[in-house]
Amino acid sequence: MPEEPAYSSAEEPQLVEWAKSGDMQAFEELVARYRDRIYVRAYSIMRNETLAVDLSQNAWVKAWQRLDQFHGEASFPTWLSRIVTNLCLDELRRQKRARMDSIEAMEETTGPVENRMEVETVDPVEGLSRRELRERIDAALAKLSDKHRTVIVLYEFEQIEYREIAEKMGTSIGTVMSRLFYARKRMASLLKETLKRDGLIE
Amino acid sequence: MNENEIQLKVQALVDGELTGREAEELRDRLETDAGLKEFYERLTAVRELMAGAELPRTLPESGDFHWSQISKAIECEERQAKHMARPASGANWLLRWVFPLAGIACLMLLLTLQQTRNPNLSIPLGSDHELELSIDDLDVMTFNTGDDNMSVVWLDYTINLQQDEIDLWLD
Repeated sequence: MPEEPAYSSAEEPQLVEWAKSGDMQAFEELVARYRDRIYVRAYSIMRNETLAVDLSQNAWVKAWQRLDQFHGEASFPTWLSRIVTNLCLDELRRQKRARMDSIEAMEETTGPVENRMEVETVDPVEGLSRRELRERIDAALAKLSDKHRTVIVLYEFEQIEYREIAEKMGTSIGTVMSRLFYARKRMASLLKETLKRDGLIE
Repeated sequence: MNENEIQLKVQALVDGELTGREAEELRDRLETDAGLKEFYERLTAVRELMAGAELPRTLPESGDFHWSQISKAIECEERQAKHMARPASGANWLLRWVFPLAGIACLMLLLTLQQTRNPNLSIPLGSDHELELSIDDLDVMTFNTGDDNMSVVWLDYTINLQQDEIDLWLD
C-alpha cells in the first residue's frame, strides 16, 4: 500500500503540483496555510465579514478550477490574492449596479483634484505598537468610500501598479492617481484626528 | 502644468511610477521648491505609514468548516459541469446525425413507394421531373432524369438552435 504524502510538511510547490493532479488533500493543506491571508484581503476591500468569508470561499473554488493556469510566475498566495481581489471588485461592481450609488458618485473625485490638496503630516508615535497603529489605520480605512479604499488596498497592500489597477477597476490611470491621492489625504487626516483624540500627538 | 497635476506627478514619483526624464526634472524642481519638497516628504511619510500596515485577521469560522464549505462547492460545481456536459453532447449528436439520417430515410421510403405503388404516374418517366418534399426541419428536392438514368437529391437542413442550447454547448 503506497504511503500517504506528508502534506503538512510538504513544500508549497509540491503541494501545488499534487493539487494540480487532482489531490484534494494537498489542496486542503494549501487552504489551511493561506485561508487567513485570503480572508484578510477580502475583508480589507469589502469591510463585511460575511461577504469576505463567502468571497474567500469562492476564490478557493475558482483557484481549484484554474490550477492548471498557475505556472508559478508569481507565488501561489499572490496568485490566490489576485483571484480574491478580482472577485471583490466584481462584487463591488454588482453592488454599485444594484444600488445606483448616487452618494458615492458625489464623493467621487474623477477629474482634477481639489485646488489645494494638503496632505497632513502623520508621525508614527513612539510607544504606539505596530499592532495599535495598524488598528488605527484599519479604522481609518473603514471610513473611506469603496472606491478610495479599494484603490489604496490594491496599491499599498496588494502592490499592484497604477496601470493594472486602472485595468481592474475599468478606469483611467489618471483617475487611479487621483483616487489614490484623495484616499491618502483622507487617511492622513483621519489618522491625525484619531491620534490627537487618543492624546498621542498634539 | 497646474498645481494639481504637479501634485499627482509628485505622488507618482513617491510611488516609483514616474521614471526617466520626467522623474529627473521633478527631482530637480524639488531641490529648488521648498513647498513642493515638503509636500513630497509628507506624502512619503503617509506612504511609509501605510506600507505593510494591513491588520492581520483570523477567519471568523473554523478551518474545518471553511474547508468543508469549499470542498462541497467544488464537488457541486464538478457535478453540475458533468451534468451539463452530458445532455449537450447528446443533443449535439442527435442534431448532427439522427435528424438528417431520418430525413434521408423518409425520402428514400417516399421514392420507393412512389415507384412501386404507382408505376403509371402522369409524369412520363422518360422526361425530366422534380419532386419536392418539405417537412419542418428538412427541405428535400429531387430531380430525376430518365435519359441519363440519374436522380439528384438536394437536402436543405437548417439547424435552428435556441440561444440557450448554444450557450449550453459553449459552456
